[in-house]
Amino acid sequence: MTETETTTPQSIDPIPGDQGSPALACYGISKRFKSIQALDDVSLSVPRGSIFGFLGPNGAGKSTLIRVVAGLIAADKGHFDILGYSSLKGHGVRKDMSALVDRADFYKNLSAYQNMKILGRITGHDSNEHINRLLDLLGLYDRRKDKVKTFSQGMKQRLGLAQSLLPDPKLLVLDEPTTGLDPQGMHEIRDFILKIAAEQNVTIFLSSHLLHEVELICSDIALIFNGKLAAQGSMQNIFREIDNVTIELEVEDSKTTLAFLEKNDLVTQITPLANAISIEIHYNRIPELIRLMSAAKINIFSVSQRNRLENYFLSLMEGK
Amino acid sequence: MILFKLTQNELYKIFSLVRSYIGIILFTGIVPLILWGYGMGTSHIEGQIESSVSDMFFIEGSPTNGFTAAYFIMNFFWIHIPFLLALVGGDIFAGEHANGTFRVYATRPISRMSIFTSKVLATMIYTFIFVFYFGLLTLGLGLIWHGGGDMLVFHNGVLILESSDALVRFFIAYFFSFMNMVLVSSIAIFFSTMVRNAVGPVIGTMALFIFILMVSSLPLEVFEGIQPYLFTTYFSNWEQAFFDPIPWPDLFRGMGLVGSNIVMFLGIALIIFRRKDILS
Repeated sequence: MTETETTTPQSIDPIPGDQGSPALACYGISKRFKSIQALDDVSLSVPRGSIFGFLGPNGAGKSTLIRVVAGLIAADKGHFDILGYSSLKGHGVRKDMSALVDRADFYKNLSAYQNMKILGRITGHDSNEHINRLLDLLGLYDRRKDKVKTFSQGMKQRLGLAQSLLPDPKLLVLDEPTTGLDPQGMHEIRDFILKIAAEQNVTIFLSSHLLHEVELICSDIALIFNGKLAAQGSMQNIFREIDNVTIELEVEDSKTTLAFLEKNDLVTQITPLANAISIEIHYNRIPELIRLMSAAKINIFSVSQRNRLENYFLSLMEGK
Repeated sequence: MILFKLTQNELYKIFSLVRSYIGIILFTGIVPLILWGYGMGTSHIEGQIESSVSDMFFIEGSPTNGFTAAYFIMNFFWIHIPFLLALVGGDIFAGEHANGTFRVYATRPISRMSIFTSKVLATMIYTFIFVFYFGLLTLGLGLIWHGGGDMLVFHNGVLILESSDALVRFFIAYFFSFMNMVLVSSIAIFFSTMVRNAVGPVIGTMALFIFILMVSSLPLEVFEGIQPYLFTTYFSNWEQAFFDPIPWPDLFRGMGLVGSNIVMFLGIALIIFRRKDILS
């Protein structure tokens, strides 16, 4: 684990529903599928009110942990608490949680409304007003009577989010929610996640291998490799750890700028791009470089930091 | 309360599928056809029966009436109904796996036991509706079409049942048939929990049914020892409801074996389902 690690959850039985307990706390969860150790003693803590990104490459164990928490698979070892309720006490642990695991699939021969009705009935959240409000929130109200088999994947994903909000959850677990969506669909889902986190006071636990997506919306993250947790903490703390970052400069005169940068010892790596120049620099020295460039009368149109999380992610992977 | 809601959901899902109506549509078409054919082709049988027994008994109504027609149809269909029931029972778990809907449904704060019980209950309700509809169609339509009267049963000679007695015996016969069909649905559920596609359980159920049916009906000495323990041996036990007197001990012995098979198949299915990782 890196220094960004937050306190590892202690295996004490919290007070049920205790407001001070984390939204999700996992204690030493392990799961093996035949010869593959999918999860190896994973412990993590998701603070209440956060948008928590759970990162890892494909096959790292993200979906396995989410399926354990969602009740789809049983862990070989370990347990978890959701909002202070322990999984050791049965399926009631998920009473304030909702999940969208993997791709959203529904009863295709039923309409969006009928699917919502079936799922809402389980927890007693199946009033017409509630269902229609959620369908409206996700932009599906006009298509509520259409069979799901006529929906695009993006619409199904939005319906997946609508159904996940049916029981008014306090913890929403989303497993790669933008997978299979086009850029516009991804953008819509991201906006929606930010919206519900802010407006409905929902903690969001989000798995993804799209680092840019996580960087855009998450306040806290955890990283998993080969079934083992590699790091966890707030995004701010993670970024503080990063020394060198990659930034892209959009300038008026690329040739002059390149010549300037090559002579400058603040920059450790220079890569000319089609419409910009990518440089690697120590995070704290970015303002100094900009000052020097201005003094050298280099017209800068934009300075954008790229792949901050990706750099961190790759450095961790290289260290493994 | 939660079980009621879950069962309501399962029934909703069952009756939203076209396959659930295949058997009902099939019988709605074929039973009237058989009843029509029965009416067309029984005049000579009727003449023969009347000439052979009329000097000994007074038969009220036609001997080839609605009761006899229903009895005739029951004899014909008890082997075909299992296939139609397996279409629904085989889909009840495997269909959700295949469609990925378990990923949504099973994340709710409900136990696997509740999901399992609701699916079993819904399948049994469907089985009941199916058998009830079959009975209503054969007996009801048979009586409307061919009228009532005394029922002739050929078992160790000729047995004449009064119409009121015949009706009671039909209810008994349908009850035992229903139990047999519950077993078929239980086998389909058992296979449905094992696989992730809906075709496998239907084929599995019919393969097992046909295999055990063959072993239980082959007149070979080597199989005689195990035949009393095979459920298909009792699949025609509903006929005993028309014997005189009704051999209740035999009927209940058969039902005991059928019942224990139901418990066994559903018990194994429950264990499989509770331990199953939902990965699809």
